[in-house]
Amino acid sequence: MAIADVWVRAGALAEPDGWSGMAHFLEHAIFKGTDRLPPGAFDLEIENRGGTTNAATSHDYAHFFIATADRYFQETLPYLAEILLHASIPDDEFIRERDVVLEEIRQANDNPDGVAFDALMDTIYQVHPYKKPVLGAVGELLERSPQEMRSFHQAHYQPQNMTVVITGGIQEDLALESIEDCFRDFPSPPSCPTSRVEAEPPLDCVRRRELYLPRLELARLNMAWIGPGIDEIHDAYGLDLLAIVLAGGRSSRLVRQLREERQFVQWITGDFSLQRDSSLLTITAGLEPVYLNTVEEFVVRAVHQLQTTPISEVELARAKRQLCNDFAFSTETPAQLAGLYGYYQTLANAEIATLYPQRIQTFEPEELQQLARRYLRRDCYAITIAQGE
Amino acid sequence: MTSIARPTSSVRKTTLNNGIAVIAVENPTADIMAARIFFGAGSRREKPDRAGVAHLLATVMTKGTETRSSMEIAEQVESMGASLGTDTAADYFVLGLKTVSEDFAQILALAAEILQRPTFPESEVKLEQRLTLQAIRSQKEQPMSIAFAQLRQSMYAEHPYARSSLGTEASVSELTRDDLLDYHQTYFRPDNMAIGVSGCLNSSEAIAQIEKVFGDWQAPEIPLPPEELPSIASQPGCQITTQETQQSIVMLGYLGPSVSMGEFFDGVSTDYASLKLLDTYLGNGLSSRLFVELREKRGLAYDVSAFFPTRLDRSNFVTYMGTAPSNTQIALEGLRAEVERLRVTPLTPEELQASKNKLLGQYALGKQTNAQLAQIYGWYEMMGLGVEFDDRFPEAIAALTSQIALETAQRYFLEPYISLVGPEKFVSAIA
Repeated sequence: MAIADVWVRAGALAEPDGWSGMAHFLEHAIFKGTDRLPPGAFDLEIENRGGTTNAATSHDYAHFFIATADRYFQETLPYLAEILLHASIPDDEFIRERDVVLEEIRQANDNPDGVAFDALMDTIYQVHPYKKPVLGAVGELLERSPQEMRSFHQAHYQPQNMTVVITGGIQEDLALESIEDCFRDFPSPPSCPTSRVEAEPPLDCVRRRELYLPRLELARLNMAWIGPGIDEIHDAYGLDLLAIVLAGGRSSRLVRQLREERQFVQWITGDFSLQRDSSLLTITAGLEPVYLNTVEEFVVRAVHQLQTTPISEVELARAKRQLCNDFAFSTETPAQLAGLYGYYQTLANAEIATLYPQRIQTFEPEELQQLARRYLRRDCYAITIAQGE
Repeated sequence: MTSIARPTSSVRKTTLNNGIAVIAVENPTADIMAARIFFGAGSRREKPDRAGVAHLLATVMTKGTETRSSMEIAEQVESMGASLGTDTAADYFVLGLKTVSEDFAQILALAAEILQRPTFPESEVKLEQRLTLQAIRSQKEQPMSIAFAQLRQSMYAEHPYARSSLGTEASVSELTRDDLLDYHQTYFRPDNMAIGVSGCLNSSEAIAQIEKVFGDWQAPEIPLPPEELPSIASQPGCQITTQETQQSIVMLGYLGPSVSMGEFFDGVSTDYASLKLLDTYLGNGLSSRLFVELREKRGLAYDVSAFFPTRLDRSNFVTYMGTAPSNTQIALEGLRAEVERLRVTPLTPEELQASKNKLLGQYALGKQTNAQLAQIYGWYEMMGLGVEFDDRFPEAIAALTSQIALETAQRYFLEPYISLVGPEKFVSAIA
């Protein structure tokens, strides 16, 4: 089993004004091949050998992976490099694939959880491009040309933005040699408008939005606080622990109180998602509309309590154990490892990834209390509420 | 205790004295243990007016035993950073667990207690019953889930495969704690179970730990009740739900074979293997026929695919896509033409080989994590296929010819069941 996972610092954050959706659309268009590889040929080369391939785009990155049996590694890597470096983006394929992206947007718009999450991002961020959905705005997508996409591609898919991760049953020297062979002769970067990523100012109030969505049977409550970016990784890991203490499992504070005891919610979860800048701690619940206010107040009190009272040693030990084991469980396969290393190398550097369990173990209740005071203010959060029409 | 070591791999099957089949896989790559504990239960063992009892039982089961409360169970699992969850499907019930190896014995003992001596506290039954009713209503939020629900209903009518495993609002609201006790007593017994276990412990030790906590469990005197399943009659039609969504969902279904229907090649149903191959050809991956013809060449959809699950009774072969409402008719014709084409046009030698490579390659890729290994072997055993199926299935696929696939398509791809969800203006015209 061999994985080749290529990460490119060319997510939605790289998009200039008016180009919203370009990074994701490009991810689709790259599969349309090159002058030497007609549309569909790449997919056939990988899949006919029993392999799989796919790609994903976020604000912070785009990545492309292939998974094959070890013996096909050397034969398939050149194809991946070829489409990534030399995508030709023919005009007619651009137009056709744009229809596919528009279908993807329609599908997303029919998913209430996705719509509610996009609204939360738009509510919590004031200036940062994390505001905008990765899929983009239809109007802006329709205004862009194949030539603009080619310039975006060639400007960003350059060595300094790229991480190639190889995992699985491949010797290191063979992997390095193959990468050297395949990832060379990058096109010279053309001029392309650049993006502006403004630092997000601290949140200084409660930002609130209410949505009414068709067909919604259960209301959704999404709350978020802004945390640090990856350059303050230690603080970020502290928030990871706090998210678990709040709502990670049946014994966590909010699940226990709101689902099991008071029965106000159908479900409630807490999550910390690490991003390059201004990461997010989110609490999400599904509930009957009648409990919306009560649950919001409850969450705010629980968050505030993290500032006033240190968490107990038992809770801390449990949260540490949960995170460290989750880390072990999510690094079982070569594909998971490749994703982990690629992600960290793209945002900072890959070595950080391996230190995660050690870092988590260092936290004491007092430090977490300080982090809660710094990041989880009870009067500075965003909330979106979605209800049926 | 009888034990058969398979010569070519680290998979070992053992049957405990009380009838429990244990399939143990040694996989030293990580300090992890996973187990999947199966019972011959699930929706197929539900009476229609008790639909959802297996699911409700699954949710309440982890919420109390003779010695532990719901919170004590949660605290024990979470303080060890383990996972322990129950689930129910059409053909089985399963408890899954995952731990680092040093915690395995303790979590396994907890699982054994949960499975053998659950108390189903009344308050927990009420809570989970109410939340299940909410969840049933929430299924209507997703167009894809509506489309599949009405397709299943029209294909299977009275058969349990017609229903969501959650049950219906009517049946779930009538369930009581006594129903759970009754279902538990009837189906949770050592002669109706199989355990898949995989991880870094050597298999003798894993089996010894399982024997220690499950070995004393005795099957009741009364035999398992016979299955009473209504037959499945083919009556294709068109089901429509109108709603003002941005996409229409177009779904086509055909009644397929069970995993053991028709003629066999070395222990594997040829019909089943052929449809697995055609499912791969049509719907699996970026080079699949539906993806290339309907998405890449015509831009009709983002999500277009097929599925054909492995089932004890007659399965369903389904193709589907989401598309702009104005394309509803074209999408339906496109999907239908692609399936029906398989009745007249044999796969070319290249297509046949590519589909085999893809299916077998992905089959291998699906056996990586300890949870996946425990699942697949435990499940094969529970389905009555045996661990040997893991070798026989790839051999059966390799032996297929285009002619066999064509003949199978001719037998199964007759009139489709159609399911449409979308804006009235575009979907109503089609019936």
